[in-house]
Amino acid sequence: MLELFAGGQAVTLDQVLTNREWRSAVQQQLEADFPDQVVVAVKLNIAGPIKNSLKIRQVFMAGWQVIKQAAVNDSTTIKKVHVDEQRITGPEAFLVLDGKLKKWKQELLRFEEDFALGRLFDCDVMADSAKGYQLSRRELGLPPRRCLVCDEEAKICAKEGRHLLSAVQAASNQLYRDYFVTDLTLPAWSRDFVVDAAVAACLQEVALAPKPGLVDPISAGAHRDMTVMTFLDSAVALRPYFEKAFELGQGFSQADATGLLAALRPEGIKAEQAMYLATDGVNTHKGAIFTLGILIAAYGLATQDKRSTTLREVLNFVQKISANVLDDDLVSPTCIDQQEETAGHYQYRTYQLTGVRGEVAAGLPALAQVGLPTFRDRPGSVTNRLLDTLMALAGTIQDSTLIKRAKTPAIVQQMQDWVDEFFDLGGAETVTGQKYLTTLNQTMIEQNLSIGGAADYLILTIFIGRLSGLLS
Amino acid sequence: MEIKKTALAGTLESSDVQIMVSQGTNGLEFDLVSDVAKQFGEQIQATIEDVFAAYDIHNAVIKVVDQGALDPVIKSRAITVCQRALDQVDQPRWEVL
Repeated sequence: MLELFAGGQAVTLDQVLTNREWRSAVQQQLEADFPDQVVVAVKLNIAGPIKNSLKIRQVFMAGWQVIKQAAVNDSTTIKKVHVDEQRITGPEAFLVLDGKLKKWKQELLRFEEDFALGRLFDCDVMADSAKGYQLSRRELGLPPRRCLVCDEEAKICAKEGRHLLSAVQAASNQLYRDYFVTDLTLPAWSRDFVVDAAVAACLQEVALAPKPGLVDPISAGAHRDMTVMTFLDSAVALRPYFEKAFELGQGFSQADATGLLAALRPEGIKAEQAMYLATDGVNTHKGAIFTLGILIAAYGLATQDKRSTTLREVLNFVQKISANVLDDDLVSPTCIDQQEETAGHYQYRTYQLTGVRGEVAAGLPALAQVGLPTFRDRPGSVTNRLLDTLMALAGTIQDSTLIKRAKTPAIVQQMQDWVDEFFDLGGAETVTGQKYLTTLNQTMIEQNLSIGGAADYLILTIFIGRLSGLLS
Repeated sequence: MEIKKTALAGTLESSDVQIMVSQGTNGLEFDLVSDVAKQFGEQIQATIEDVFAAYDIHNAVIKVVDQGALDPVIKSRAITVCQRALDQVDQPRWEVL
């Protein structure tokens, strides 16, 4: 079965028709309740009996996020928001807002045309004050909606049954793959949206439980000097830094991208100071300040033209920005003070491991290859998919926190074995998988082990997940 | 069969069709609105006529607003509107399906 439809449940024609009556009634009620406002109804065009699945919801949420943001950017007063993501006949959402009917019709028509997955959306805009008013695509200078398979008018192809259902489904699936799989599309968001996503990524990482060895609301893992509260303070304190990182990327105009890292470094040092002040001297997010700062700056750089970008493009910039970081920081460091040597320097000197610097210099490979695909494809709740993602990352990278705690790189193999056992049990969605995480947490506490590097990668995964709409 | 009351079925949602039926005296009188009336008007009308024939309705005013509905949808909405117009809501004629 095509991935877009995997795990979905078939509906009958009767359910679809009854659902239209339900929607029509909801819309009429909203128009009656808000006679002076505009009602926006958002749903998907998914041909065939399966109209909801994990991946169909990903499509929906990616577009819904873009629509919501249009209202936020416009400073429109929002009167009501209603989202029904799980409907068997397909996800639907309604938005009631202040504004001009025509303006929002245009906005939503443009969304259907311009957003990469817009062809799969069907948005209606209506108002009680303008009953029966229909702003056609033609009046706005737009051609009729095109068929998903050929380039004819969609209504005609459907009427004549020109294409097999399988061809229409394959075309929809291809749109999904183009957006989420082949590369990940990242719309051009406002600074506030990006910074919110960064802070939320830090908060969601620490809120996730049960994480082996790491701090979460249930257990402080193998960290005696901090609690979940320490991380909340730290995440909030980093907001000005994330803003600065985005602005530096957006405003950067030199030909040599390494200049962006040079501009970011003093901000990163200030952010570390803000973190230590907020946590009374505890290192909570040092790794994330480095990696997430560079990632945000790279995204800012990639969206300077205010057009959507892709993960590949952003990670290319990460690589370019960090091109000299190994040489500058590890190979020929300017000061070698053994007292002040960081774990990264020690591990390079002792084991030739390049740690977090190696990761950014390589364009954060585990993000596109492990973090995001795992989150995209694992089944179950958001929490369990994030736990699976953390474990997959922990089993992939050479975690410098883990190596530092274990005092040997041999721990990496042990961690991979633990991760393999966890996935053999079925992962976080299974009862045995959950038990395994709790037991592993005990083991790691006893051995004073932590997977801070994997946690940082999880923050990056959540951040990009939020920008793409995979996570909201 | 005589139309007992004016009845409505379907919605104005895309890919749906709204059919309103009221009493008439001059055969089946159609008033069809559709973006694709030029290409498919006759086909839409024929689908509805078949359902009306199965319900033995020969006189009615039928207003149709089509939003690009496919045949099975038109048929289903026509069945519903006939049952409602004949006050047969509780006795669906499944054999028409």
